[in-house]
Amino acid sequence: MENKFDLSVILPIKTNMVRDFDEFFKKAINSILTQQVKCNELVIVHTNEKSLVDYLEAFDFSDLNVVKVEYNGEPNYSSQINLGVEKSSSKWVTFFEFDDEYSSIWFKNGKKYSEIYTDVEAFLPIVVDVDSKAVFAGFTNEATFAANFAQEVGYLTNDMLHNYQNFQSSGMIIKKEILENYGAFKSSIKLTFVYEFLLRMTYNSVKIMTIPKIGYKHVNMRPESIFWDYKFGNNTISENEVKFWVSSAKKEYFFVNDRNIKYEESI
Amino acid sequence: MSDLIKKLEQSIENLKEKKCRLFFFVQDTKGNAKASVSYIYDLALTLKNAGFNTVILHEKSDYFGVQDWLGSEYMEKLEHISVEGQNLQVAPEDVILVPELFGYIMPQVANLPCGKVVICQSYDYIFETLQPGQSWSQFGFLKCITTSEKMKEYITRVMRNVSVDVIEPLISNEFSPSQFPPKPVIAIHTREQRDAVNFIKLFYTKFPQYRWISFRDMRGVSQSEFANILRDSMLSLWIDKESSFGTYPIESMKSGVPVMSTIPNLVPEWMNEDNGIWVQDIITLPDLVADFLQNWLEDNVSDKLYEGGIKTAEKYSDVETHGKKVTKLFENLIESRIENFESEYNKQTQEQNA
Repeated sequence: MENKFDLSVILPIKTNMVRDFDEFFKKAINSILTQQVKCNELVIVHTNEKSLVDYLEAFDFSDLNVVKVEYNGEPNYSSQINLGVEKSSSKWVTFFEFDDEYSSIWFKNGKKYSEIYTDVEAFLPIVVDVDSKAVFAGFTNEATFAANFAQEVGYLTNDMLHNYQNFQSSGMIIKKEILENYGAFKSSIKLTFVYEFLLRMTYNSVKIMTIPKIGYKHVNMRPESIFWDYKFGNNTISENEVKFWVSSAKKEYFFVNDRNIKYEESI
Repeated sequence: MSDLIKKLEQSIENLKEKKCRLFFFVQDTKGNAKASVSYIYDLALTLKNAGFNTVILHEKSDYFGVQDWLGSEYMEKLEHISVEGQNLQVAPEDVILVPELFGYIMPQVANLPCGKVVICQSYDYIFETLQPGQSWSQFGFLKCITTSEKMKEYITRVMRNVSVDVIEPLISNEFSPSQFPPKPVIAIHTREQRDAVNFIKLFYTKFPQYRWISFRDMRGVSQSEFANILRDSMLSLWIDKESSFGTYPIESMKSGVPVMSTIPNLVPEWMNEDNGIWVQDIITLPDLVADFLQNWLEDNVSDKLYEGGIKTAEKYSDVETHGKKVTKLFENLIESRIENFESEYNKQTQEQNA
């Protein structure tokens, strides 16, 4: 088996001015460097924040093929991911976050399963969720295997998503052409953009399988992260707004394009 | 020429031409797969294919059959006769083979003039249906076929005057590794169903983070479904302290599935440190399963474990060698019976001539 997978890692970064950035980032990059099967490239979509640009310039990525893409708009995870996908040059892409880590077997299993299950267009990892102190909190994406829940064991379906929302796209390996055909993340959607994305993919019959192997370690509710910010930060969202975004995700997944959804308090 | 001499002549001819019947007594499992019954059917079919006149004997006329779990070939190719409701004609040259579990019928067939053989696959059942102090030999059962040297050793110690031969079970080629990666499924096989249920409950209670891992109780499924489930599983769990051989773990090994189990009281001779994860104490089993799961999820299970299993299973998968061994054993049995009948024939003719 060739020791390389036709895969681009898409890593959006808003700022490096957050607590423990250097420690997280080193671990994240190291988790790519230590893969048992190598990827094509790491596409970093960063803002033009000077300290971040300087940091990335000085960072030693070893033999990793790094493509740095500057994003000049208002920092936005979804938009940055979408730009990274556009600039990537591989058949497959995977979404990464600077405070997370891949397990060393993830690219190997992505390649293996993509060669065996040729009709599958996206693979989810079993995600190990940890708290900010790296203590195990639980698994995510494992529900596709739960007895009496999955219609076809291991596969994510639209029906399943309507009953259970807790699936993550971080670490996911997906064909670039699928994102080109059905759209990637919708930047106007807050909070539930991953949920809407998965609903849209499954609605369009994109076959998504969970690989029953630990592929990704995700830090839950890291202070200053997007979801922490929604709950505890400057951009806290109300219960009504949470309902609005869940409801919007369920309405918007029929549309490939982002229809620029906005929440207004009066709703 | 006396009638006796004529009958002896006829018996010798029937034996030489393999016309004598080999009656294999079987348990009605009511459609449930059972390795011990499969073993007997395999013996009978192997002999049938080698030209012997084999017959499956069952107790009741509403015998369920094995077509649903073992395959229709066994029902179609082998003659089946019910003991119930008919006067079974057994000739002196015939042989009746009775599983140890049916010890209670031994007194009933003691006076039949035929050959008698015990098929013993479980040491645990030897005395189950015998009265205290009874032994097989007192009912004319002087030969036994068993599944391993360890069983032979045990039987020889407890049933004196009985000669024991070993025919290891043949593991069907229906068991083979999957072309696809296994699923997060644990196949579990226990002696009693409650053992499986209790283990699963205990495991989920102790390790709630693994509640998405499915257990499949291997009870009551057809052989092909059994093989399919095994193929899909990432671990095979075997809990049976009273087992005498352990067909299930070898079927798992042949399917490319690592086996974890408690060590039976009669340690199987195939069991070694390279072909499975073996523990004495069932209490530690849930923790070991959780450890194994963690390693499996991280691709950390040693290849040696899979290789060791496949290597062990190969020993029990050689159809040709197994067939030759079975045939040779029964040819020897028939040969010795021919000698006995000829000796009696000579004695009778000499007496008549004198």
